[in-house]
Amino acid sequence: MFISYNWLRELTGTKLEPPEIRDRLTNVGLAVDAVEARADDFVLDVEVPSNRGDCLSHVGIARELSVIDKSKVQSPKSEVPNTKDKTTDFAAVEIRDPDLCPRYAARIVRGVKIAPSPEWLVKKLEAIGQRPINNVADITNYVLHELGQPLHAFDLAKLAENRIVVRRARQGETIKTLDGVDRKLDREVLVIADADKAVAVAGVMGGEESEISNSTVDVLIESAYFDPSSVRRTARMLGLHTEASHRFERGTDPEGVLAAQERCVALISEMAGGVVTQDALDVYPKPFESKSVSLRASRVETITSLSVPESEMKRILDALGFVLRADELSVLTFTVPSWRHDVSIEEDLVEEVARHTGYDNIGTGLPPATLAGEYHFTEKRKRALRQALSACGFDEAISLSFIESTDAFELIPQLANHPSVKLTNPIIEEASSMRQTLLPGLLNSIRHNLNQGIRDVCLFETGRVFAAANKGELPREREAIALVATGGAREAGRAQPVRELDFLDLKGAAEAAGDAINLSELRYEAATVKHLRAGQSAKIFSDSTQVGTIGRLSDTIAGSYKFRQPVFVAELDLTAQLEMPERPVLYSPLPRFPSIVRDVSLLVDRTVSVANLMGAAQAEKPAYFIGATFVGTYEGEGIPDDKRSVTLRFEYRADDRTLRDEEVDQVHWPLVQSLQKTFSAEIR
Amino acid sequence: MLFIEIASKDKIGEAERTLQELTAAARVARETIDVTIPGRRPRPGHLHPITLMRQRIEDIFVSLGYLVEDDREIETDFYNFDALNIPEGHPARDPQDTFYTTEGFALRSQTSTVQIHAMQRRGAPMRMIAPGRVFRRDTPDPTHNPMFFQVEGLCVDRGITMAHLKGTLAEFVHRLFGPETKTRFRPSYFPFTEPSAEVDYSCFNCGGSGCRICKQSGWIELGGSGMVHPNVLRAANVDPEQFTGFAFGLGIDRTCARIYQLDDIRLLFENDVRFLEQFR
Repeated sequence: MFISYNWLRELTGTKLEPPEIRDRLTNVGLAVDAVEARADDFVLDVEVPSNRGDCLSHVGIARELSVIDKSKVQSPKSEVPNTKDKTTDFAAVEIRDPDLCPRYAARIVRGVKIAPSPEWLVKKLEAIGQRPINNVADITNYVLHELGQPLHAFDLAKLAENRIVVRRARQGETIKTLDGVDRKLDREVLVIADADKAVAVAGVMGGEESEISNSTVDVLIESAYFDPSSVRRTARMLGLHTEASHRFERGTDPEGVLAAQERCVALISEMAGGVVTQDALDVYPKPFESKSVSLRASRVETITSLSVPESEMKRILDALGFVLRADELSVLTFTVPSWRHDVSIEEDLVEEVARHTGYDNIGTGLPPATLAGEYHFTEKRKRALRQALSACGFDEAISLSFIESTDAFELIPQLANHPSVKLTNPIIEEASSMRQTLLPGLLNSIRHNLNQGIRDVCLFETGRVFAAANKGELPREREAIALVATGGAREAGRAQPVRELDFLDLKGAAEAAGDAINLSELRYEAATVKHLRAGQSAKIFSDSTQVGTIGRLSDTIAGSYKFRQPVFVAELDLTAQLEMPERPVLYSPLPRFPSIVRDVSLLVDRTVSVANLMGAAQAEKPAYFIGATFVGTYEGEGIPDDKRSVTLRFEYRADDRTLRDEEVDQVHWPLVQSLQKTFSAEIR
Repeated sequence: MLFIEIASKDKIGEAERTLQELTAAARVARETIDVTIPGRRPRPGHLHPITLMRQRIEDIFVSLGYLVEDDREIETDFYNFDALNIPEGHPARDPQDTFYTTEGFALRSQTSTVQIHAMQRRGAPMRMIAPGRVFRRDTPDPTHNPMFFQVEGLCVDRGITMAHLKGTLAEFVHRLFGPETKTRFRPSYFPFTEPSAEVDYSCFNCGGSGCRICKQSGWIELGGSGMVHPNVLRAANVDPEQFTGFAFGLGIDRTCARIYQLDDIRLLFENDVRFLEQFR
C-alpha cells in the first residue's frame, strides 16, 4: 500500500524524515519495502500484515507513527456546510442479511455538479498511484485512503424506487460491474440492490448502471460494514480484488462508518456543490460490542523479557486507541478500539507493547540446557542407508507426492488392494492422486534424463506412499524406498561405462542398503510381478513377510515411457524395516585350525537356483561342514540350453585339529552325491 | 697375471652390474605409470541438496537439545488448522491454498501439525523440531512448488521468553552461515504465535552491505517465529499460565535456493543427474 509522506505529515506533524520513517515503521511490524521520491513528495510502500486492516489508510499509519514519535493524529475536519431535509425523505434502506451486513448507512447530496477534481486532490491521489475519475468518485477514494473506510456513490436517479436493499444475490442473478464485465452471482454473494435488481456487489465493486456520470445530479453515499469472510469469498469467486474488498476482507471499523461518510459528504458539497441531507439513514441491526482485555503488567516481561514501566505501557496503548478502564494491582484493563479486530487476549496487548518498545531491545540468550537432544529414531539408519546407496553410485531423487493415477504397478504389500487417495483440488490436472508407489516419479526422472541425453542413470528415493483406509479414516501412510537403474555401470572420472548394468547391480545396491541398516538378510524369490518382466522379477522377503519387489521393468511399461534400454527397478516398504530392532553384534572366537575347501561344479537344470543348492547343502550339514559359498555360474558353449553349471565352494573344519584330506573326502562326497540325486545334477 | 685376473673378474662383475642396472632401468621405464589417470572406483552417488540441508539443520538443533519429530503428511483439520489457532473462514483453509483429499482431509500445509502431536505425546517441557514435506496450492514457477520442505521448531518450558527465541535463532544462523552472521527480528503476524516476528539474517555473501543475493538489502528472510499462542498450548493440553514457549519455521528448499544460488527451484524435483551431481 502506498502512503504519502506529505499526507502523513499533515495528519501528525511528524518531524521524522522519510528514511527514518521507513526504518521505524518496519520495526513496529509495518515493513516499508521502498521509499520513492515523487514530485514534491515521498511515497512509502508499506506492507501491512493481514490482521492489521486498521493500518490500510493514512490515519491508520499515522496512528502507529504517533506512538513512535509521540506526535498526535489530527482528525481530519469534516463540517458539512449546507444541510437540508432528511435522508428518509429521498431513500429507504433495508438489510435482509444482518449477518453479512451488520451496518449500512446512506446519506444523500442533492444537486451536485460532476466535474474533474481540483488539482490538490488529483495530486494526492496520483501520488499514491490512484487514477482520478471525477470529483465525487475521487472524494470517496480519497476518504478510503485517508480513513480506511470504503465508500460508494450511487446515482440516486438510477436506483429503482430510490430503495437500497442489502440481500443475497438470487441464484444466477447477473450484474455488469464498473469494469464493464458481466458477472454471474450465486446465493453466497451479498449484493446491494434497488427495488428491482442488484446495483453493486457488496464490498467489492459497484454496478455500471448506477455509476456516477456527468449527468448525475443527486448522489447516495454508502458507508457500511460488511462481514469480512463473506467479502473475501465473493472477491475470490469473482476473481475481483479491489481497494474496497481488500479492506472489508480484513475488517473495517464498524464504528467509523458515520464519520467517514460525514467526511465524504462534506468534501462533496464543498467541491461539487449540492445540499446534504441532515442525517445519515443508519441501519445498524447488529451493533458492535466493544471488547475489554486485561493486561497483567508483569506478563510483558514473562513473555518478552522486556522490562517496560507501566506508564510506558499505558502511553503506547493509549496512543493506539486503547482506553484504560481499570488499573488495579498492576492489572490494566482496556477497552479495545473498534478498529482493532486483531486484539482479543492479553498476549495481543503484550505484542503491542513489545513491538512499540522494540524487538531490538529484547536481549538474546539460550534457554537453560535441561533437555537432551535426540534424532528421530529412524534417522541414524536412514542416513546409513543413503550413504550406502550413494556409495553404490545412486543419486538421491525427490519427486512430487502427487502423480497421475495408475494401476500398472504392484504396490508394497502394506498398500496393496487399497484404493489411491484422490485430491479434490489438484494443481496439476493430471496429477490428482497421492502416490501409492515411488516408481512412477523415478521413471519420469529417468525419462527426463534420457531426454537430456544422459543414458546412465541410477536413482533412489525414500518417501511417503499413500492409500485410502476405511471410509472416514485418515489414509494409510508408509515410508518406502525405491531404486531404479539403467544404462552402464560408471566409474568415477571415466567417460565410458565399464559395462551395462543388470539385475545383480540393482540387487547389490538393495543388499548394501539392507546391510547399512543392519537388517537380517532379505530373501529374494523369483515371482511374477505385474510391472516386471517375467523371468527377471522377484519378491523380497524379510523372514516370511513380503516387503517389496525387484526386477526388470516390463516391456509394456518401458514402452509407455519410451525407454529403449533395460530399466531395473525395486521398491520396498521401509516403515517396518526401520522399526525392526537392530541385530546385535556378537563375537565368535577365531578358528584355531585351518579349514579345508572343496569346489564343486554341478550341471543342473536352469530351474534349479543357487539358493536351492545352498539350502540343500545347509540342510544336509555333514560333520565338519562350515558352509557353502557361491563361486560362479557358467552357461553357453558345451552346456545344453536347458542347463547351466553352478560352482560352489564347500568349507570344512574341526575345532580341535587340522583335518586330513581323507577325513574331508569322507563327508564331502556323500554330500555331493546327495545333491546330485536331489537335483539330477552331473559333476563337471 | 693375478692382477689381470682380478681386474677382468672385476670388469665382468661390473659389466654384470651395469647390465642389471640397465635391464632394471628399462623395466622401470617400461612399467612407469601415468599417475595422473583418475583412480579406479565406482562413480559415487550424491545426496539430494534438500537432504544435505536438512541434515545440517537437524545436527545443529540436536546439539542444542532438541528432539527431531515427524508425523503424518495427510492430516485432519484439527491438526492442520484448529489446533494452530487458524479459525474457520481463514484464507489458509481455502481450497485455493490447501490441498484436500476427497475424504476431506488436508495435505499438511506446515509441519506445525507435528508440534501438536508431539506436545500431546510428550507434554511440557519439550524442545523439538519437525522437518518435513508440506503442500500448498502454488502453481509451479521459478520460486514456487506445490510441495516443499520446511522445519518447524518449538521450545516450551517454564520461563521461556522472546530473548530465548532470539538467542536460539542467532545461534542457529551462526552455525549454519558463520559466526559473523547477524539476525534481525521484525514484528509480524501468524495465527499460531503472539507476539510474532519475522526473522532475517545478514547476507552470507556480502555480509550486509548489499548484493545480488540479498537484493541489495543486506538481509535475507529466514522465516517466521514468535511466542506460542496460548490457544495452541491449550489445544495440546499445556497450561499457558505455567509454561511459555517459542516456535519458528523456515523453508529448507528456500534456504537451499539461497545458499546454492538456485535461480529456479523447480530443479529440486526434476532429478536431473547433472543437477544432483553438484551437491555433496
